[in-house]
Amino acid sequence: MKRIVLRPDYCIGCRSCEAACRSRFKGEARIRHGEVTTDALLPQGCRHCEEPLCAAACPFQVIVRNPDTGVVRKSDFHCVGCRSCALACPFGVIPPALMRHMSQKCTLCSDRPEGPRCVQTCPTGALQFTEDDRMPEKKAGVGFAVRSIHGRRLA
Amino acid sequence: MAKVEWPDRAESRAEMNATRTTCPFCLNGCTSGVEFNGVVHQMHYFTDAEVNKGRLCPRGNSANIVLDHRDRLCRPLLDGRDTTWSEAEALVRTWLAEVKPEELAVVYSRGRAADEVRRLHGLAEELGTPNLACGHIEPENCFNYRLEGVRDAGLADIESATAMLLVGDVFSTSPVASWRMLDARYKDRKNRMVVVDSVRTRQAGFAHSFVQVRPGTEPFALLALAALIESGLAPGVDVDRYVELAGVKRQQLEAAAAMLGPAMPGFVASAMHTGRVRHPAFHSLAGQLVARAGVKPFVGFRETELPSGPMRFADLRRKMAEGSIKLLFWTGGLFPFSYAELLPEAAKVEHIVATSIFRPEPPVRGLVLPLTAELERASAGRSYWGEVERSPLAAPLSGTRQFGRVLEWFGRAAEKPEAAVRPVGAADVVAMAARAVDAARSEAADDPDRVPNRVLLLGEKKAIGLRGFHDPEDEVSVNRADAERVEVSNHGYLMVKSPTAEREFRVRVTDAVPAGVMMVGTNVHANRCLFPLEKDELTGEVTVAPTPVSVEKTESMPVASGENPSVWV
Repeated sequence: MKRIVLRPDYCIGCRSCEAACRSRFKGEARIRHGEVTTDALLPQGCRHCEEPLCAAACPFQVIVRNPDTGVVRKSDFHCVGCRSCALACPFGVIPPALMRHMSQKCTLCSDRPEGPRCVQTCPTGALQFTEDDRMPEKKAGVGFAVRSIHGRRLA
Repeated sequence: MAKVEWPDRAESRAEMNATRTTCPFCLNGCTSGVEFNGVVHQMHYFTDAEVNKGRLCPRGNSANIVLDHRDRLCRPLLDGRDTTWSEAEALVRTWLAEVKPEELAVVYSRGRAADEVRRLHGLAEELGTPNLACGHIEPENCFNYRLEGVRDAGLADIESATAMLLVGDVFSTSPVASWRMLDARYKDRKNRMVVVDSVRTRQAGFAHSFVQVRPGTEPFALLALAALIESGLAPGVDVDRYVELAGVKRQQLEAAAAMLGPAMPGFVASAMHTGRVRHPAFHSLAGQLVARAGVKPFVGFRETELPSGPMRFADLRRKMAEGSIKLLFWTGGLFPFSYAELLPEAAKVEHIVATSIFRPEPPVRGLVLPLTAELERASAGRSYWGEVERSPLAAPLSGTRQFGRVLEWFGRAAEKPEAAVRPVGAADVVAMAARAVDAARSEAADDPDRVPNRVLLLGEKKAIGLRGFHDPEDEVSVNRADAERVEVSNHGYLMVKSPTAEREFRVRVTDAVPAGVMMVGTNVHANRCLFPLEKDELTGEVTVAPTPVSVEKTESMPVASGENPSVWV
């Protein structure tokens, strides 16, 4: 399946991905930013897990994983806003705050043939939408280092 | 409960017509577009665009929000109350008949296209008023000062660069342009990036050499750097003196000079933020001097390019304070919300006519006319990389008018060509440096202990979407040592008092700012008001410089920023 992959060495923390998501969903960004040791800012989005704990925790089974596309989607119509998915998510990417009485969950912009908006708008190409087996190639020292604003590599 | 079956919306999605234009929010020239489904606008990303390949910054992504925003002004306002276009026109014509030409002042700011500014210059000539000034007093407007012999950088220069000098936070000013810079940086291990700034930004994390200078002393470091690259370029440059003033080590500048030598193709880029630089023209020219020494092109990153009027803004301000201006016509953004200090002077003007695309909050005195947004009209202008033409992204909002129709109330003037740039020689830059040293010396003579808990407040350009925030603006970045001195912890609260305003902030303890310095975002008016308007002694331009403030710990919680209607656009 295709996934959103982050190349931290290209991420400048500009939050364009969040802005694109926010402008699409009328103020509800489904990709958010997390601080790494208070100095590096990196986008955090839904991983669309193979065995999604959010779906397992949902008491009404409104979160389902499409086995063909791998996309984990939530039905806004059936969601009652119980926050079970937010509590169950091991990555903490589903915000506990409700918008319009529902939790917010990334859909990988399944309604767009061009792919997710956050990826398309990323100014530096740090976010990529790619097949699992075609992850961005590792160049020497480039691509996967989390960089703090002090120039140190954090991971 | 049965599992939900999902329809494939990608296939059923109707093909929508997307309009295409060049984004007007800065000079990077990104191609932007919106789709209209009959109800709301959605952003469209044109991946075939040469400059940005469909990529957009947070501001560019907000274009659809501006078009559909509920706070759009669609009726003229008189002293905060709705009025009609015909009444507004009659009122303006009456006011015009009342005042003499020398009592009329015209001010333009960001949001006005080049052809509209040319018409304003023609209009001022026809009306016979000398009071025509540029009200865009952001430091970035001083990129109009251009050093002779320095070429403008193009996209090819950035793509093929092996040596880059970034002065200030270029990545925050133009995130889309940073893509090419990072590609150039990673292309070859021999490529080098040098960053000169007073605070450690995220951009500094990408630099091979980060030259951290004292706040406001970037030009001294740059002048020393230029002299180290080419000693004969500017005679009279005292490298050791400037190195000391900037608070850097000479060896570090020598290493940077070796990276930026004429043998390495590359470019010099500069960005200036509100409340971050002390002498903006000197700052701009010093960067260009390095470019000339290193035989490199130069690019100044900014949001708009506006020529100066026949009158300096400082002189117009003095006239307003004296009460000799009876009718003020201010068109474009930033009035009067961002510069609270102008309000007492504006109160002495009898009649004010301003234009806006959003409903002013709080209401302002005088007549406010609703104009079409930049995205709803055609215009032509320049980007960093060449000439651009902008077509309207959407139909004008009902109730708004094009700027040209409003201008006809004042007269039918032809466009008057106006040179945007001010050429300056290298010797003038060295002379500026000597005067800046004197200014720094007198500033150092001020007793820092006169104000308790005195720190220097800097401005920061945070990520914003128009009419809504992505980075918190109620936060102040504080150095660890200062936090301990004031006895405040991370997420504690501080009251910041400047000579012009005071505001409470949540504390963010970080090593990004040096000791004795604090930093706040300058996208909201409440924060901008902390920085007094100053007259730059080197050029006479009004500017917004770093300012000393006093701080004290408080216990209460500041109001959350959230959706703040007073964001400047």
